[in-house]
Amino acid sequence: MRPKYLFSVLALITLTVWGAVLAYPDKKLHIIACDVGQGDAILATYGNLQILTDGGPDNKVLECLSKYMPFWDREVELVILTHPQADHFTGLIEVFRRYKVDTFLVSKLNSSARSYEVLEKAVGSNQSRVVNPKEGMVIRLGLIQIEILHPSESILEQKSLDLNDYSTVYNLKFGDFEALFTGDIGPKIIEEILAKNSIELVDYIKIPHHGSRNGTALELLKASMPKLAVISVGKDNSYGHPHQEVLKMLKDLGIQIKRTDEMGDVEIETDGRGFKLLNP
Amino acid sequence: MKFLFWGLLFFVALLRILTFKTPVTDGQKVRISTKVLQEPIRQQNYQRLVLENLIVYLDPFPEVYYGDEVVVEGVVSQNKLVSAKLLSVKENQGILPNFRKRLINFYQDSLPEPHASLIAGITLGSKGSLGKDFWDKLKNTGVVHVVVASGTNITLVAGFLVGITTFLLKRRLAIVFVLVGIWLYAVLSGFDAPIVRAAIMGSLVFTAQEVGRLSQSFRVLVITGLLMLIIKPAWIRDLGFILSFVATGSLIVFQERINKKIQILPAVIREGMSTSLAAQIGVAPILFVTFGSFNILSPIINALVLWSVPLIMVISGVAGLVGLLFPFLGRMILYLTYPLTSWFVFVVDFFG
Repeated sequence: MRPKYLFSVLALITLTVWGAVLAYPDKKLHIIACDVGQGDAILATYGNLQILTDGGPDNKVLECLSKYMPFWDREVELVILTHPQADHFTGLIEVFRRYKVDTFLVSKLNSSARSYEVLEKAVGSNQSRVVNPKEGMVIRLGLIQIEILHPSESILEQKSLDLNDYSTVYNLKFGDFEALFTGDIGPKIIEEILAKNSIELVDYIKIPHHGSRNGTALELLKASMPKLAVISVGKDNSYGHPHQEVLKMLKDLGIQIKRTDEMGDVEIETDGRGFKLLNP
Repeated sequence: MKFLFWGLLFFVALLRILTFKTPVTDGQKVRISTKVLQEPIRQQNYQRLVLENLIVYLDPFPEVYYGDEVVVEGVVSQNKLVSAKLLSVKENQGILPNFRKRLINFYQDSLPEPHASLIAGITLGSKGSLGKDFWDKLKNTGVVHVVVASGTNITLVAGFLVGITTFLLKRRLAIVFVLVGIWLYAVLSGFDAPIVRAAIMGSLVFTAQEVGRLSQSFRVLVITGLLMLIIKPAWIRDLGFILSFVATGSLIVFQERINKKIQILPAVIREGMSTSLAAQIGVAPILFVTFGSFNILSPIINALVLWSVPLIMVISGVAGLVGLLFPFLGRMILYLTYPLTSWFVFVVDFFG
């Protein structure tokens, strides 16, 4: 090889190594509500460990994973699908095709969508471990703990409910930090969960059902008293989400609101005590 | 004799174009059974195909890939097939489409976005998986030609093969090898009009060299265009075809002259700058008429990124071939493109 080429190759190797080292993550938990338009996709990442909740309606979730994961990390430790509706699962198809996913937390529900079959096939070829969530289940991943609050067995036995009502609801704990993820649950389910006294005080809440009036109940907010409420919603969506009632409820309680349609990805970081909004 | 040759060629091409008609009329319900010859473009709510010169929008699932056999039903409306339904799709198990799919998968499994799609675009002309935002930015900055299959790809492949084969083989054999390589690549990269154009021109130039005739680029360009139109008159309305010829023509006429005028610029970006400026002279008016806009900064943006394209293509080409046999080693080689694609993405983000 001529010296000129040799130099270029060495320079490129050096740059790549430096890039890889600089991409190394910090020692904090980051939670990112990805801007995927009308839908949900929430990434929690701590070091090399990632938990992705839902995948949004299209491949935009890939941009989010690409942005917040080091380029050499091709593994997502846990993917949670709250419920099989297109605005929550479609993006997961490419995630399963491109990333190694260790565990897939998903309820045994059927979707009539053609694309759901495609997702199931992608999960199969990924050889991920498939786990069905159930109230009371606890999953530990490093320093992160996930407590499943819903669906309960009695709900799963009822076959005729709206898909939204089967949503996986969970509490994520990291040190003293707590966050509540609510999928697309509605008032009836909220009442049921509240009746069991399993809602704790949290720092962060993912507002149910993109801020629909058929999601958030005042009682849920009063029981959890979050400091930050995140609404994952698309700009000018045809449903009119988020509904004014919900925004007013949050304002009246003095809860800070962040919306993906207004500010793109909503990212917070925490060291286990309090949290900081990274894109205020 | 010469006059007769050119006259005949022009006459046949003209005849083909004038007698060529879309075989169906508006409002007619048709069933098309064909092979997918252009890579489908995917969006959230649809995938867009071109079948028998008709634009077809289908539901995003099941997914259709380049090379697949499909049966589609719909109603013809101008150049579109509306309310189209996919009746069946059969995956193409042929060696080349399969090879292409595996290469793209290798890139997508190894790198994040938009790096993976950028590489798939640069090496294979695959634009199907590019995110809409990034695609728009590429268009706004005037560098989108890099990720669609274009003549540059053929030039690079040919150059790479010439570099290797002339070391190893006798001249005559080397040229056969290069020609086969060019056409294999043309099929691999989707057989779009610009690729076919470059493949024909490249083949003509190489063969002419071999039989000892000095080829004149402009003449070769015109012969190639006429030949293509005789084979497939529908190309006359293909924007890629038109842009490819106008750009190449402008390059032949202006590039050398511009290059001489901008000697002050450093060599790394001079080539990209003169190429882009020369091509723009012909292309800019067409872009302006078709899209209603073009970026005045485009030559500068091109100059900033074009130098990285051959490097990205060669490294990811080699990484892909190695990676299909030894995935880990291939991935390590592919990582070397990361600083280059990062620069590319940075520039496009900055100006887009």
